[in-house]
Amino acid sequence: MAISLAAPPSPWRKVFRIKETIEQLFFVANESLLIIVFCVSFAAVVTILESSFHMRLVIQNDSMVPGFAALLILRELGAVVTALLLTSRVGAGIAAEVGTMKVTEQIDALRMLGIEPVRFLLMPRLIASILGTMILVVIANMVCIGCAILVSDAYLGFSPTMFVTSMRRFVGFQDLIFSMIKGACFGAIIPIVSCFFGFRCKAGADGVGQATTQSVVVSSVGIIVVDFILSYTFSHFY
Amino acid sequence: MKVEFKVGLLALLSVILVIVFAYIMGLMNLFTDSISLNVMYNYAGGIEEGSPVRVMGIKVGKVRKISFNPTFQMPDTKEEVKLKIEISVDRKAWETVRKDSRFFINLAGVIGEKFLEISPGSTGAPAFSPNDFVRGEDPPRIDQLISQSYGLAGKIIDIVTKNEGSVTNVLGQLDKLVNNFNKTLVLLDRTTKNKDIARLLENAIKISDDLVYLTGQLRSKRAEDTYDLVQKLIFRLEPLDGPMIRKFLQEEGVKARVKIF
Repeated sequence: MAISLAAPPSPWRKVFRIKETIEQLFFVANESLLIIVFCVSFAAVVTILESSFHMRLVIQNDSMVPGFAALLILRELGAVVTALLLTSRVGAGIAAEVGTMKVTEQIDALRMLGIEPVRFLLMPRLIASILGTMILVVIANMVCIGCAILVSDAYLGFSPTMFVTSMRRFVGFQDLIFSMIKGACFGAIIPIVSCFFGFRCKAGADGVGQATTQSVVVSSVGIIVVDFILSYTFSHFY
Repeated sequence: MKVEFKVGLLALLSVILVIVFAYIMGLMNLFTDSISLNVMYNYAGGIEEGSPVRVMGIKVGKVRKISFNPTFQMPDTKEEVKLKIEISVDRKAWETVRKDSRFFINLAGVIGEKFLEISPGSTGAPAFSPNDFVRGEDPPRIDQLISQSYGLAGKIIDIVTKNEGSVTNVLGQLDKLVNNFNKTLVLLDRTTKNKDIARLLENAIKISDDLVYLTGQLRSKRAEDTYDLVQKLIFRLEPLDGPMIRKFLQEEGVKARVKIF
């Protein structure tokens, strides 16, 4: 017993730092949940109402709105809105944290202790961000669809059964899988970009501010570009 | 509450949502009680796995699997049918699907959703066993119809091109015929409005009425008595010669000039 307690942690635990990863996952997923649910609910309402308005305007018929809106939510809205919100919240936080560590020479201290700072700081955040974004994307998609069902029932006259029937014509289970893959990719972009700017942070409070701003801007642009690439790729699977 | 627990709870929630979504999309049917049937086609008209199966317009199942079976022959007719569509039918509708049911591939909705329609069989027909093979009704091939329409249109154009003069002539004559017919109709219309013709028609109607009255009288009892009387008179006159007839008529009080040939 004494031997096992005294034994050094396994390399696997050293690389992944499970406790730190879970804490980061809590920061990414649990603490962002409320704001994401709130924002995607409004995004869903706007999507369903705008879809109905456009379809009535163009083809004088909005019978396909539920399917169209559900497809839009699953293919784009759920993942992208979630990722952009996480960028502004988590990405800025990571960049500021790592930047401050750089400015206060904590990263140099880690190097002095023989710890590889990139692996030490990035790996838990990367894993947490990938998993957290995937979890949040699933929840965001379901909340979006739930709100769309409520709005279409209240304002457009589609009962939940009609909505689901119409949705099933357009949407498949693979759409949710693709959305989760998108979430994982966006989740990877956020800590990589944020840590990159954090590690390159210039001295002083101004440097931290700049690193934070740049990380949010670059992450957002990266998310939109990667979204285009993934959407184009996934369109070949239909 | 520990951080690990909260994170785990959120992860569990997302897994549950994925399962619920899969159930809604029809990927998981945990609570359905259905029976499988293999419907064989040579042309399936674009039906897909997951397409609905309907009996009398009500959804009772779905297409589970589509597979190619190049060597398959129908057990009873030995017909080669190469496309196997495995469908599920809810147990509640299973009794209506009999051996004389027919399996069509139909189109529904604005977006043209394909579905498999089963016509209900007669009660006297035997029921299917699970996983039986049944021959479906191949839907009409739109590409073939279009191709045949093109062929027909080509032939019509060919005929018209080869007989251009005749066709033009026929059309010209038809045009004249229609014109003449039109003129005739106009004349007829004018004629019916002429006063003399109207009087003639009126008299003709009166004559026709009189004739009807006359023929009615001829068929009456009184007319029959008259015929009998005339017949008896002729019977009595028959054996007599000219002077005798004259004498007879004078006796009867009839003043007539009878000429005997």
